[in-house]
Amino acid sequence: MTMETTPQTGTAASSLSAGGASGGASVRLDGLTRRFGTVRALDGLSLNIAPGELVALLGPSGCGKTTALRLVAGFDFPDAGAVLIDGTDISRIPAAKRGMGMVFQSYSLFPNMPALDNVAFGLRMRKIGGTERRQRAAELLDMVGLSAQAKQYPHQLSGGQQQRVALARALAIEPRVLLLDEPLSALDAKVRLQLREQIRTLQQRLGTTTLFVTHDQEEALSMADRVGVMNKGQLEQIDAPDELYARPATAFVAEFVGVMNRIPGVLESPEAVRVLDVVVPVKGSSSSVAGSSMVDVLVRPEGLIVDVTENGNGIVTTRTFLGSVTRLGVLLSGDVRIRVDKPSTVAASIPPGTSVSVTLPSAPVLVAPPAS
Amino acid sequence: MAPVTRPVINPVPGARRSFPLFKAGLWRWVILIVAGMYFLLPLYAAIRFAGIKAYGDLIGASGFTSALWLSVRLAIITTLITLALMLPTTVYVHLKLPGLRRLLESLTILPIVIPPVVLATGLLQVAPASLKNTPYILALEYVVLAMPFAYRTIDAGLRALDLKTITEASSSLGAGWTRTLTQVVLPNLTTALLAATVLTVAMVLGEYTISSLALYTTFPVWLVTNDQSSATVTVAGSVFALFITWLVLLIITVAGTRRGRRTGRQVSLFTVARQDNRG
Repeated sequence: MTMETTPQTGTAASSLSAGGASGGASVRLDGLTRRFGTVRALDGLSLNIAPGELVALLGPSGCGKTTALRLVAGFDFPDAGAVLIDGTDISRIPAAKRGMGMVFQSYSLFPNMPALDNVAFGLRMRKIGGTERRQRAAELLDMVGLSAQAKQYPHQLSGGQQQRVALARALAIEPRVLLLDEPLSALDAKVRLQLREQIRTLQQRLGTTTLFVTHDQEEALSMADRVGVMNKGQLEQIDAPDELYARPATAFVAEFVGVMNRIPGVLESPEAVRVLDVVVPVKGSSSSVAGSSMVDVLVRPEGLIVDVTENGNGIVTTRTFLGSVTRLGVLLSGDVRIRVDKPSTVAASIPPGTSVSVTLPSAPVLVAPPAS
Repeated sequence: MAPVTRPVINPVPGARRSFPLFKAGLWRWVILIVAGMYFLLPLYAAIRFAGIKAYGDLIGASGFTSALWLSVRLAIITTLITLALMLPTTVYVHLKLPGLRRLLESLTILPIVIPPVVLATGLLQVAPASLKNTPYILALEYVVLAMPFAYRTIDAGLRALDLKTITEASSSLGAGWTRTLTQVVLPNLTTALLAATVLTVAMVLGEYTISSLALYTTFPVWLVTNDQSSATVTVAGSVFALFITWLVLLIITVAGTRRGRRTGRQVSLFTVARQDNRG
């Protein structure tokens, strides 16, 4: 399988204007490789993060995103490649000397210390005096909105509060890079949304370069300046969220980010595919499906044209109201099920059971080997 | 964390009023009374038999103080060596070699399976000559015997802790190994360490076989020897020992619950034992 890796030097991608006091460092991952036994958890990962930028690594479990984060944090060391912060190779420096702020999925607060002492811990390790230390810790607790909980122990705090304390603790040391390892995954939906916004606002205000690892595409797309999609230890594509959604470079990215339909088609030539009785150009190259003329064409639910007709090629089976759009489930001939998004006002007149004709605009499409 | 499983209380009002005792916990009481008798009757008999005067005689009995003092010294030395060996080992295995946890667990069970006689003779073969003629050689043997207790309590304490993430968090905040251990890991293990200490001390204070084989008069050996001359004083001695042990257990449990209330984890001797069952 060939993979297109496009590590941009993301200077333009950083939407940051604030440039806060701590100032972000630049991060460069250079051909990072990490093997566990015979498994290549990370296979030559290269990536540049601009100062103050928030980059999310997105991928299914086992894709290597957490391994990458741990190599940057210094909890693990690469078999090949290097981690560079502001141009300096830190690959062999132990975690305690890297000055990275880390937030874990499991909160990881010290159970024997109240919230304030947890936040002050990193400052204590840096030999900062008692008064100043407590003052700065109190400021950070205030920043995450937990001044009132300063004296409470971790077990007295809710999950969301614990994670905010953990965030304050990581930021207290004015980290060169903030590393977030699935920080929202253990929280319930409502708290997750609030904390997502809070993290992003704080990160932009402080201008801290941030690497964020998640398996949740919504989280990655809504928070990050750029999202890197990972698969099998490699970076498939890294781009701004809207680019990633609109112009996925590979079939894997296309299907991992957002909802994607698979419609069987036949390659007429390496550059054109016949699908739903029309011939459309193939985006990029069809080399990933070399050797077979049978392919699946990948189309977003909003990328299909649907008209109500007698004896069309499909029949509406389900209708789901999603707010401004309504998602129609359509059964095509050949037992192919697809999803189509229509404005809710239009969809109101297309109840289940309606016969429709489904076709494609002539825009280039991605193709993938047929799903078995 | 209730020690006794609570019966499900019927939410329908009035249903509970009919026979509360019979419905809720008749068997609980029967079991409690029968089991209680099993422990309390012999104790009552011992106290009756010894009489008040025997406790006074106990202090003056020949050999009592020196035997007790020897046992106390051995208990202290054994505890120190055991903790110094088992704590770093268990922490290290948890963090770096989690695959070896099962093996270590089986290893620490060995002293229970191997008869003390074998251990005693074996150790005598390999012990340095300078130790062979002092009672402190017993401490070395007791360390082996204490291993299962120490390992299991420390292991349970560590498992309740999410050790890996906590040590990683600590090191990312700039703490080296020493400070992570002393300021993050140890403060969260105090209850487990106290429990390990109590179990070790109780074991040393009660150990008879090895010390009598090695011909040293520890407290239990003195009890048996003295029994031949003055039975009442001996029984008074064992009751005395029992109460001391209870007192220590009580202190640990109280300290454990108070700490638990503060940090949210109710770890005491008994919860440690229960967590063990999870394997």
